[in-house]
Amino acid sequence: MIRPLLACTLSLALASTAASQQDVTAFTNATVLPGGAPAMREATMIVAGGKVVALGSADAVEIPVGAVVVDCAGKTITPGLIDASFMTSVTADDANEQSDEVTPHLRILDSLDPEDPMMRRARRGGVTTVHVMPGTQNVIGGLGCVVKTHGSDPDQMVVKQDATMRIVMGSEPSNRNRAIRGGRIESMYYRRPTTRMGVVWAVRRAFFDAQEAMQKTQGAPDQGPPSPGIEVLTQVLQGKMTAVTTARSEQDLRTALRIADEFGYQTVIDEAQDAYMVADELAERKATVMLGAPSATDVGGGGGRDGAAPRSGTVRALADKGVKFVITTGTNTRRLPLVREAMFAARNGLGPQQALDAITIEPAKLLGVDDRIGSLAKGKDADFVIWSNDPLDPAAVAESVHIDGKPVSQLR
Amino acid sequence: MNLSLLRIAIAAAAVAVPATSQDLVAVKAKTIHTITGPSVTDGVILLQNGRIKEIGKQGEVEIPWAAKVIDASDKVVMPTWVLAHSNGGMRGSNESMQNVPWLTVADAIDPGSTFFEGMRRNGVGTIHVMPGNATLLGGTGMVLRPAGRTVEDMTMAANTGMKLSLQASGGSRLQKIREMRRAIAEIREYLADYNRQKEEFDKEKAAGAVGDDKKWEKEIDRKKQAAVDLIEKKLGGWLYVPSFAELSEAMRMGQELDLNFVLGSNLDEAMPMLQRLKKPVVLAEGLEYFETDPETREEEQFCTAKMLMDAGVPFALSLGSGGPTSNPWWQLGTCVRNGVSRKQALEALTIVPAKMIGLDEQVGSLSEGKLGNLQILTGDPLAATTWVHMVVLEGEIVYERSKDPRLQYLFEAAEEMSESGAPAKEEAPKKEEGK
Repeated sequence: MIRPLLACTLSLALASTAASQQDVTAFTNATVLPGGAPAMREATMIVAGGKVVALGSADAVEIPVGAVVVDCAGKTITPGLIDASFMTSVTADDANEQSDEVTPHLRILDSLDPEDPMMRRARRGGVTTVHVMPGTQNVIGGLGCVVKTHGSDPDQMVVKQDATMRIVMGSEPSNRNRAIRGGRIESMYYRRPTTRMGVVWAVRRAFFDAQEAMQKTQGAPDQGPPSPGIEVLTQVLQGKMTAVTTARSEQDLRTALRIADEFGYQTVIDEAQDAYMVADELAERKATVMLGAPSATDVGGGGGRDGAAPRSGTVRALADKGVKFVITTGTNTRRLPLVREAMFAARNGLGPQQALDAITIEPAKLLGVDDRIGSLAKGKDADFVIWSNDPLDPAAVAESVHIDGKPVSQLR
Repeated sequence: MNLSLLRIAIAAAAVAVPATSQDLVAVKAKTIHTITGPSVTDGVILLQNGRIKEIGKQGEVEIPWAAKVIDASDKVVMPTWVLAHSNGGMRGSNESMQNVPWLTVADAIDPGSTFFEGMRRNGVGTIHVMPGNATLLGGTGMVLRPAGRTVEDMTMAANTGMKLSLQASGGSRLQKIREMRRAIAEIREYLADYNRQKEEFDKEKAAGAVGDDKKWEKEIDRKKQAAVDLIEKKLGGWLYVPSFAELSEAMRMGQELDLNFVLGSNLDEAMPMLQRLKKPVVLAEGLEYFETDPETREEEQFCTAKMLMDAGVPFALSLGSGGPTSNPWWQLGTCVRNGVSRKQALEALTIVPAKMIGLDEQVGSLSEGKLGNLQILTGDPLAATTWVHMVVLEGEIVYERSKDPRLQYLFEAAEEMSESGAPAKEEAPKKEEGK
C-alpha cells in the first residue's frame, strides 16, 4: 500500500538533488525560530535542493560561492506551520461517506483537490503542511493524510498517506440520522446510530470485529486477508496506526478515553475543548491533544460546540499539567488562521516558544513526520516562512512561504 | 478653590459623574500615548474633578499631597477607545418593523448588559450606540460611557443622529433601495403638506379670513419629528452601506441629507466615490475580505482600512460583538499588517471617531481640559499579549483586571478544575452590576 508512494518520494528526492548545484540560497541576518529550540539571532540558513543544508550563526555558517543571498534583516524565519487538524473546502457531502457509519479504510486523500481554496489560503498564512481527515459525520470516518499545501498532484504533496484513523464521539455522527417513515430499513438513507449510546456501540462493535478477526487469523494464518476496514482497525489495536478521536465536551472526552482503555489502544484527542477538565486523565495516559481553535472562547463562555465550555485558561492548564498538545484550526467555524490561534494561546499565557512549537515541531512529532518537517535543521525539508516580524505579533505577515525550498506564496 | 476651578468642576459635573471624594488623581506611567501630541516617557497625568489638569514628566508635574496616586510606572497609559458606531448594549437592536424613525436606543439600553462589561474590559470609554442594520430608518442613537447604573448615568450625548441602513433583509437589494427612497419621499411629502397647510393658514389669517385670536396649533407628528429633522438636516444620519453595490444610492442620499457612512465590505471599487465624500467614514468590524476571480479562481484579499488610507479617506474602526474583532488590538493589528500606519490605526479608534460624534473636545486624546478617560495597559496597545490593566473614566476607576470575575472564571477556573479533575458544575458568575 505504501510502496508506490515511497518510490515516488524517492524519485522526487533524486530529482531535486540533481538540481541542487544550481539553486543554493542563503538567507542571512534573520531571527530564526527553528522549532523546538530557542530563537537564533542574526542567523544564516542555507537551502539547496529543497533541503536545509546549514543553519547557524553568521560566523558558523559559510555561504557557498555562487549562492543567492537573501538579506532577511529584521525578519523572522520559522518552519512552515503544520495544521494537525485542517478542514479543506471539501464539502461535508464529500467528506462523509453515507453508505456506512463505520468506514475505517476510506481515504480523505481521494477527495482532496490540490487547488483547494482553503489550502491556498492556509498556505498564504504560512501553513506548509496540513493533516486532513475525513469528515465528522461518520463514527469511524477513515484515514487521514499529511500533505503539503502546494503541488499540482495530491500524490506529490503527500508526506504521509495513511497517517491516522478518525473516530468521532458526540452528537455529530448521529444527529442527522433519522429513520425515514415508510422507508425501507435497509435503505442507505436509514443510517444508524441515532444517539450517543449508538455511536459508542458502533465503535465498540468495529473493534470487537477486529479483535475477532485477529484471533481467527492467529489460529488459521492462511484464511485470506480480512476486509480492508478490519485491517485498519487491527493496525490501530496493534499500535501501528494512530487513532484520532474527535471529542469536544467533557463527557465525550471521557468516553473517548474509556473506549481506548477498553481496547488497549492509544488515542490522540482532536478538538478537545473541555480538555482542561480531564487534564489529569490525559496526562496519565500520555494522550496528545489537538486543540481545535483555542481562540474561540468568548468571555461570556460561548464558542463551544456539542456542550463544551471552552476556557481561555485551557492552554496554560494543559501545559502546567504536562499534557502534550498541539494547536490546530479544527472544525470550529470561528477558527482563525493557524498562526493567530498560536498568538491567542500566547496571549492566554503560553510562552512564545511553546506557542510556536505547538504549530510546528509538536504536530510534526504527533503525526510522525518530524524527521522531515516541523523544525529547521540540517537535512530537513526547506519548508519555511519569512515573517515581517515576530509571527505572534498581530501585525505580522507571512512575506514569503517556501515549500521544498521553492517560494509558493509571496506578498506583493 | 478659586472661581475658575469651581466653574470647571461644575462643567465636569454637568457632563460626567459627580466628582467623588477623591477629586485629584495622579496616574504615573512608563509611557503615555497622548495620540494627538508626542508620547511621554516616565510621565504623570494629573486629573482634577474628572478632567485632565496636567500631563508631563514625572518630577516636572507636581503631585498634590491629597491626590490619589495610581502607580502604573511600568505600564502604558493612553486614552480610552472611542467607537463611532456600535449596535451593542441593547435588548434587541433591530425593530421588526422596517421604518421606525421615532424610536430611540435609550429605551433599549441595558446598563447591566455584558456588552458594557466587555467594553470596559477592552478599554473602550465612549460608545456611539445606534440601532442595528436591519431597519430602513431605525431610530436615533446616543453616546454612552460604559459605566453607570442607569441610561442617564451613562449618557454623554443624546439624540445623536438617525440610523439608516441599506442592508437588504429578506428582499432584494433593489427593493431595499426603493423602500428607502419611498420612506424618505413620504417624509418629504408629509413635511411639504404640513408647510403648505401652515402657509395657507398664514395667508388666510393675513387676508382676515381667520380670526386674529386663532393661532397655528398643529404640531409636527411626534412619530415623524426625528425623520423631519433628518430631512431638514437638523439631525445627522448614519447610513450603513453594506457594499459597493449600494454606494451610488448612498452617495445620492448624501447629497440631500447630512450623512455619515458606515461601510461594510467589498469596497475595492468604491474608493473614487468615497474620495468625493470629503468626510471620514466608519468601517464595520470585518476589515478583511476575499474576492475570487471568476476566471482564474485566484483569490485576492482586500483590507478596507488600507484601501481607505491609500485613497486619503479618514476612517474610524468598529469592534465586533464577539470573536477576535472584539479586541481593539486585533483590529489595530489587522490594519497595520495590511499596511496602515500605526499612527493612523490608533487614531481610527480615538480621535477620528471622537470628531465624528462631535466629542473631540472631550475625548479621543489626552490633553489638558479633556475628560480624564484613560486606560492603563500592561504593554503596547498593538501587542497580542497586552491586557487592559485598569480603566479610568472621568477620574473614576471603572475596571480593574484583577477584579474581573469573568476573566478569572475563564482562566483560573480552568486551572483549578484541572487541579481537582472535578467536572464544572458551577455556573458562570452572575453578571457584574453595572458600576
